[in-house]
Amino acid sequence: MTTAAETQPLPRRSVSPLSRAWAFVRRHTITVFGLLALAYLMLPIVVVIVFSFNDPAGRYNYTWEGFTTAHWTNPFGPPFLGDSVETSIKIAFVATIVSVILGTLVALALVRYHFRGRGTTNLLIFVPLTAPEIVLGASLLTLFLNLGTALGFWTIVLAHIMFCISFVVVTVRARLVGFDRHVEEAAMDLGANEYVTFFRITLPLIAPGILAGALLAFSLSIDDFVITSFNSGTTETFPLYVWSQAQRGVPPEVNVIGTLIFGVAIVLMLANVLFQYRRTPKGAE
Amino acid sequence: MTFLHHHRWLTPYLLLAPGIAFLVVFFVVPLYYLGYTSLQEGTVQVGYTFTWAWDNYSNAFDQYREQFVRSLEYAGIATVAALLISYPLTYWIAFRGGRWKNLLLLFIIAPFFVTYLIRTLAWQNILSDDGLVVNALQLLGLVAEDGRVLATSTAVIAGITYNFLPFMALPLYVSLEQIDKDLIEAAKDLYASSTKAFLRVTLPLSMPGVIAGTLLTFIPAAGDFINAELLGTPNQAMIGNVIQSKFLEITDYGQAAALSVILMVVILLLIVVYTRLVGTERLAG
Amino acid sequence: MKDPFHRTNHPITREQLLRRAAVGGVTLSLPGLLAACGGGGGIEGQQPETEATTVEQVLVDEITVSNWPFYIDQNDDATKFPTLEQFTEETGVKVNYLEDINSNEEFFGEIQAPLSRGQSIDRDIIVPTAWLCARLLNLGYLQKLDKSAIPNIVNLEDSLASPVWDPNREYSLPWQSYITGLGYDPKKVGGELTSVEQLLDPALKGKITMLDSMEDTIGLFLLEMGVDPSGEIDPTAYDEAVAKVQKAVDDDQIRQFTGNDYTGPLSKGDVWASIAWSGDIVILQADYPNLEFTIPDTGGMTSVDTMVIPTGGDVYTASTFMNFFYDPEIAAKVAAYINYITPVKGTKEAITEIDPALAKDPLIFPTPEVLENVYEFNAEAIENVDYQEKWQAVIGV
Repeated sequence: MTTAAETQPLPRRSVSPLSRAWAFVRRHTITVFGLLALAYLMLPIVVVIVFSFNDPAGRYNYTWEGFTTAHWTNPFGPPFLGDSVETSIKIAFVATIVSVILGTLVALALVRYHFRGRGTTNLLIFVPLTAPEIVLGASLLTLFLNLGTALGFWTIVLAHIMFCISFVVVTVRARLVGFDRHVEEAAMDLGANEYVTFFRITLPLIAPGILAGALLAFSLSIDDFVITSFNSGTTETFPLYVWSQAQRGVPPEVNVIGTLIFGVAIVLMLANVLFQYRRTPKGAE
Repeated sequence: MTFLHHHRWLTPYLLLAPGIAFLVVFFVVPLYYLGYTSLQEGTVQVGYTFTWAWDNYSNAFDQYREQFVRSLEYAGIATVAALLISYPLTYWIAFRGGRWKNLLLLFIIAPFFVTYLIRTLAWQNILSDDGLVVNALQLLGLVAEDGRVLATSTAVIAGITYNFLPFMALPLYVSLEQIDKDLIEAAKDLYASSTKAFLRVTLPLSMPGVIAGTLLTFIPAAGDFINAELLGTPNQAMIGNVIQSKFLEITDYGQAAALSVILMVVILLLIVVYTRLVGTERLAG
Repeated sequence: MKDPFHRTNHPITREQLLRRAAVGGVTLSLPGLLAACGGGGGIEGQQPETEATTVEQVLVDEITVSNWPFYIDQNDDATKFPTLEQFTEETGVKVNYLEDINSNEEFFGEIQAPLSRGQSIDRDIIVPTAWLCARLLNLGYLQKLDKSAIPNIVNLEDSLASPVWDPNREYSLPWQSYITGLGYDPKKVGGELTSVEQLLDPALKGKITMLDSMEDTIGLFLLEMGVDPSGEIDPTAYDEAVAKVQKAVDDDQIRQFTGNDYTGPLSKGDVWASIAWSGDIVILQADYPNLEFTIPDTGGMTSVDTMVIPTGGDVYTASTFMNFFYDPEIAAKVAAYINYITPVKGTKEAITEIDPALAKDPLIFPTPEVLENVYEFNAEAIENVDYQEKWQAVIGV
C-alpha cells in the first residue's frame, strides 16, 4: 500500500551557483587542456613553417629578420640539398614497394590462417617496432661489417625495408580484421576461384589499409635518421644532410623541404581517409 | 595451382615466407652479429679479432653505468610526462571529440611527419636562451634570471617527451575509443559520480592502452641520443650517445656492440614482461 | 684595438712556423704497422698498401670533395662557390663539394670500414687534418698524386714541403693551416679574454664550448700550464690537463664539446666564448661583428688540413684540382674569404690586388710574433691509445 510519502518525488538537491560554476569549469577544463596539448604538439611545426619564410642575416636561421618567399621559389638552392632529397625519395620508393608487398602477405597470413608459429611470428613483427632504433641500426652495421658489404644506397634500402615491414603489417592487419568475409564468399559462390576473388574483391577492399601502410612506410623511410646514419657510409639522405648542416647553420630551405614533406603526408593521409569513406559500401561495415 | 589446392596448409607459410625471411636475415641475424662483434676486440689499425672478449661487458658496466642509469631515468620521466599529457588529451578526443575525432587525431599524428631532427632543432630554437619562451619563463619565475633551459636535463627530457608523445597517445586513444560508453552510463545510473565512474570503469578499461603506450614510449626513448646531443651538455649523455660515438667515431666496435647488447637485453626483458601481461595475440596490433 | 699578439723573446720566421706545423705529422710505431696483418675472424683491419699504377691522364666529368665547413669562398647567400665554378669553367669538371667533415674522429669513423676493405668511399679528395692523413697513409688508404698534373706544386711553401709522414709530398698537399684560439663576444664576457683559464670562470657557467679534438683543447690547457705540447708530453701533465677539463664538465661549465658547431650558438648568443678556429670567427664577423678571436697569451695551437686522394678517387682529376688551387690568384681568392693561413707562395702579392688590407691581416699572413706563439700537438701523443681513452672519457663517451 503506497503512502503519500512514497509517491512524492525525491527531494531535489539544491544546486548552488558555486557548484554549477565548478561543474562548468570541470567540464571545460579538459577541453582547455586538450587544446593546450594540441598547441604544444603543433608548436615546433609552426616554428618550422614560419622560419621557412625567414630572411636571415647570416648563415643561421635563428632570429626573425624579415619575410621572404625566396626559399620557396628556389628550395634546392643550397648545394647538395637537392641530391640528398632525391636520394631519400629513391630509397623511400624502393623500400615502400618491397615492404608493402612483404608486409601485406604477412598480414594476410596472420589474420586469416591458423598455423604453428603464430606466436613467434607476432613477436618477430612486434620487436622491431619497439626496439630502439640505435640497436636496430647498430646490429645491421655489424652484419654489414662482418660480411664486408659496402655501405651505401642499398644497405640503407635494406635497413628501411626491415623496419617498414612491421609497420605495414600492423596497419594492413587492422584493416583486414574489420573485413567482412561474406563478400568474398559471395564471389566464390558465384564461381570465382580464390585468385580471382583475391585480386578483384579482396585487394580493392583492403586497398585503403595497404595505402595507409604504404604512406606510413614512405614517411618513415624519408624521415629516418638513426638507422640510416649507421648504415649509410658516405651516402647522404635528407635527414643526414640536415644533421650535417646543423653543425654550421641549417638553411631555411631545409624548413621548406620539411614543410613540404609534412604537407604532402598530411594531404595524402586525408585523401586516404576520404577515399576510405567513399569506398565503404553503406551497410557493409 | 592444384598443388596448393591439395596442400592448403602450405598457404599461410607461403604467404609468410618472403616477409619473415627478410626479417630473419635483416633483423635476427644482425642481432647474432651484434653479439659476435661484442666479443671482439681490436682497433681499426690492427683489425678486429674474436677473442671472447668478455671484458667489453665488464668495462661497459664499470664505465658507463652512469649513462645507462641516466637513460632509464630520462626515459622513465619522459614516459610519465607523456602519459600525463596524453591521457587527458586522448580522453578529450575520444569522449568529447564527436565529429571532430579524426581531425583532432590528425594533430597528434602530424608532428610525426616532420623529420625528427627538424622538430628537435626547432625546439633548440624555441628554447634559445634569449628567446620568447625562456624570457616568459623567467618572468614567471620558473627559470632563474641568469638560468637557461637549453643544455639542461630538463630540455633533454622535454625533447624526449615531445618526440615520443604520439607513441603514447595513439595506443591510449585506440583503447579509450573502444570503451563502450554504455558501461559508463550504467555506472552513472547506479549513482556513481563522474569521478567514480571514471576511476572504476574508464580507467581500468583503458589499462591495455596505458601499458602499450608506456612500453612503446619507454623503450625507444631509452635508446635515444638525438635529444641529448642537441639539447644537452655532455653531462646529459645517454647510453645512445655512447653507442653512437663508439660505433661511428671512435670505431671501438667491440665495446659499442657490447653496450648495444646490454641495452637490447634490458629491452627484451621488458617485452617479455609485457607479453606475459597481454598475450602474444595482442602484440602486432 | 689592442694587439692580441704579444712579442716574445724568440722571433721566428713564418717558414719556421710552418715547418713546425709540418713536423706534426704522425708516425705510427713500427709494431703497430706490423701487427696490421693480424686479425683472424671478424671485421677486417687494414689492407696492405697498393702501389699506384700508371695514371691515365683523362679528366672525369665530376669529382667529389669532402672538406671542413667555412673552408672555401662563397657568394653572398652561401649558394655558390666562385672558385669552384671557375674550376668547372676552365676544366669542364663538375665539383661535388661536400662540407661533411666536422671532426677528424667522426670522419674517420665514417670512412674507415669501406676503406679497410679496399672499397671506394665515393670521394676523390678529402681534407682531414695532418695527423689523420698520416694515419690514413699508414693504413694504406691513400693513392699517390699525379705530380705531372701539378706543376704549381712549386708554389708550396718551403716549410711545408717535407713533413715527416710524407717527405716527398707524394700523397698529400696542404689545403690550409689554421690557428686554434678563443672566439668570444667581449660584451657578454665582460672584457677581453687572454687565457684559456678564463673560460673556467664561474660567471661563464654553461656559456662556453670547447673543441672535441684532443689536440686543440688539451693543447691549449697544456700551454697554459707551461708545457710544450709539440714535444713529448709527460703523462702527469696530460692527466692534469684532462682533470681540469673534467672538472669543468662536472661543474656544468662547458655547454658542449663541438666540431665547427660552436659557430651557431656563438652567433646566436647562447654561447659567449669558445675554443675556436681562427678563420671561422673572421667569417662570422661579417654578419656578427661583435665577435672576436684571440690567441691566448700562453700560446695557441696549429696544424695543417691536407688534401689527400683516398682509394677509389680519380687521381688525375684530383691532382688537376689541387693544381688549380695552388695558383696564387686562386689561393688569394680563397684566402680573402676564409682568412686561414694559405700554403701557397705568392698569395700575399696576389691578395693585394683583391684587398691590400688583407695582405697585412695577421691571421692570413701571420707575423713572426704570432708564429712564435703557436704550437702543433705532438703526433705520437695523438695516437696514444691511453690518452685517447682518457680524452674520450672526458668528452662524455
